[in-house]
Amino acid sequence: MGKTRKYLLKNEAVVTSILAVILGFIMVAILLISSGRNPIEAFGYFMGGAFGTLYNFADTMSRVIPLLIAATAFIIGAKSSVFNVGIEGQLLLGAYASAVVGFAFDLPPIIHLPLMLLAGTLAGGLYALIPAWLKVYRKVNEILSTIMLNYPAFFFNHFMVLNITKAEGVIPGTPFIKDTAKFINIFPGTRLHAGIIVTALVVVGAYYLLNKTSLGYEMRAVGLNKEAARFHGIPVERRMMLAFFLSGCLGGLAGAVEVAGVHYRYLDQFSPGYGYDSITVAMVGLLNPFGAVFSAILFGALKTGILDMAVYSQIPRQLVTLINGIMVVFVSAKSLIRDKFLKVVKGTAPVVVEEDRA
Amino acid sequence: MNFFEIIKSVFTLSLAYATIRISISIVFAAMGEMITERSGIFNMGVEGIMLMGAFTAAVGAHFFESPWIGLLLAAVVGMLIGLIFAFLAITVKAAQAISGLGIYLLGVGLSGYLLQVFFEHGGNTPRVETLPMIHFGFLENIPVLNEVFNDQSVLMIPALLLPILLYVIFYRTPWGTWLRATGENPKALAVVGKNPIVIRYIAVMAGSFLAGIGGAYLSISQTSLFSERMVNGRGFIALSAVIFGNVKPAGVFAAAMFFALMDALQYSLQTVIPDQYFPREVFMALPYLLTLLILGGFLKQGKGPADIGNPDEKESR
Repeated sequence: MGKTRKYLLKNEAVVTSILAVILGFIMVAILLISSGRNPIEAFGYFMGGAFGTLYNFADTMSRVIPLLIAATAFIIGAKSSVFNVGIEGQLLLGAYASAVVGFAFDLPPIIHLPLMLLAGTLAGGLYALIPAWLKVYRKVNEILSTIMLNYPAFFFNHFMVLNITKAEGVIPGTPFIKDTAKFINIFPGTRLHAGIIVTALVVVGAYYLLNKTSLGYEMRAVGLNKEAARFHGIPVERRMMLAFFLSGCLGGLAGAVEVAGVHYRYLDQFSPGYGYDSITVAMVGLLNPFGAVFSAILFGALKTGILDMAVYSQIPRQLVTLINGIMVVFVSAKSLIRDKFLKVVKGTAPVVVEEDRA
Repeated sequence: MNFFEIIKSVFTLSLAYATIRISISIVFAAMGEMITERSGIFNMGVEGIMLMGAFTAAVGAHFFESPWIGLLLAAVVGMLIGLIFAFLAITVKAAQAISGLGIYLLGVGLSGYLLQVFFEHGGNTPRVETLPMIHFGFLENIPVLNEVFNDQSVLMIPALLLPILLYVIFYRTPWGTWLRATGENPKALAVVGKNPIVIRYIAVMAGSFLAGIGGAYLSISQTSLFSERMVNGRGFIALSAVIFGNVKPAGVFAAAMFFALMDALQYSLQTVIPDQYFPREVFMALPYLLTLLILGGFLKQGKGPADIGNPDEKESR
């Protein structure tokens, strides 16, 4: 017991995050019971739907890809005290820009695919410079500005697919991209594609940037304490602009990868809110790129598992958004969970509560 | 159609009528958020609370066959969600931006989920009875006022009176002094024997109560049903109105009216200028872009309470 207790105390943050997830699931179970469904049976369908067959597993992993890239986008921002809630808009613009490059050019694959991803990345990054400038130089709360900017991004794409780059089909969308701009499928017949390699590079790259480079050190210093960072000669404004830009770039990349690997074109309303979900993924992953890998798998599983659960147990698929909200609430209340938890582990009153900066 | 004809067919009395009609929900939410922010708490979850208000109102109106019961339930549900947020922000000292975001997502998810649970076919509730419209006989002979203020929702009256009422409370009563002191310097308040924590709880719950009504207006007065995500950013526009209006009753009211006018203008431009001449999406994006432009300080913006956002972060707003 002594060893376990020591281990739990050492990894307090991780344990708190896991507890938040478990509490979230308990809340969901209560909800299911109160609407007359059997939560254990529902959980069975959920696991089967998420991991039960190779197809389902591949489907889950294919949803992990945009979630994880977008969550890394949020993490890079949040570590530098930039809360980019506009990832959804950046993702949509990135997806559209990459789809245009994908269908409009004829290039060898070695150039076409990277060029297409670059287009999506830049579209997201440039769009993020608007709220970045507003925050850094005009003191506009970035949560407000980025949420507002999600709407114009959607309307812009909606207009473009209806009027300028329209294609035949029931759902408005662009024409299909050329084969040279597509990711190959890892398991033929499933949705899992080679974009997962890009995802791994993004996660490792973000971790390396934040933790192993002086630039990343400066960005985190800005996130911890702007005044102290300024005192140490760090150009606070420029680091925040950079963090916002990089965050937007990854948001755009998440959209581009989705086009190149899953839809092969921009489809109106293709994103089931990956940009919003990524915030939860990042927070449950403790704003650590590697932590986000685990939470992205959890939320990827939620996306696919809920579909099966919805079919068999007549549970509304809107449950996913609800779970997101519940978990963000619990993660934001982590100091509460931590104190109660420490009390149990230590058998004493909580130590001094530090201020939470999430 | 030339430019002057367009201007003439856009700026009409029905535009003014539509502005008032659209403003009501924004005014309720913005006035509520103003109370909350005056106590030093920044509630980012207004949008989620409005969604739950809109949903609850439609459900109440459907099952009890009375929009008034729906309205009451919406206000109570709004207040209860406010209680959750207050607990997170004040007692747990959670980062307000993040727990506010959580409340927003919770509102989106819970209203969407319960919509499916109650009315299994998706998208929206059945049509419900709406709150009555009011007609002032004495206005009939006054040309402009008749077209603009007559036959609006009954909720127009409290919406127009709220800023005045809150002005009086803020600046002419001891409650207002305590509330403002809580936002400026909570420690000073403790000296006179008032508990800033209690005042903050009351302020957050009062604000959420009004946000719930603002949401209810959308589903049982402006339209006659609840549909998923129907608040459509109005909660965030209300937050912007509070910032733009300098957290003062007259300013916030003016800002809310301005944003409502932008929305009304957007609708009427859409009908006046056919889609083949000018993309409708530009007009639809207009209110959001203009809000940002204004927040960016192309128009002057002031500063709010000194202690806002504590006890978690002293960030820029």
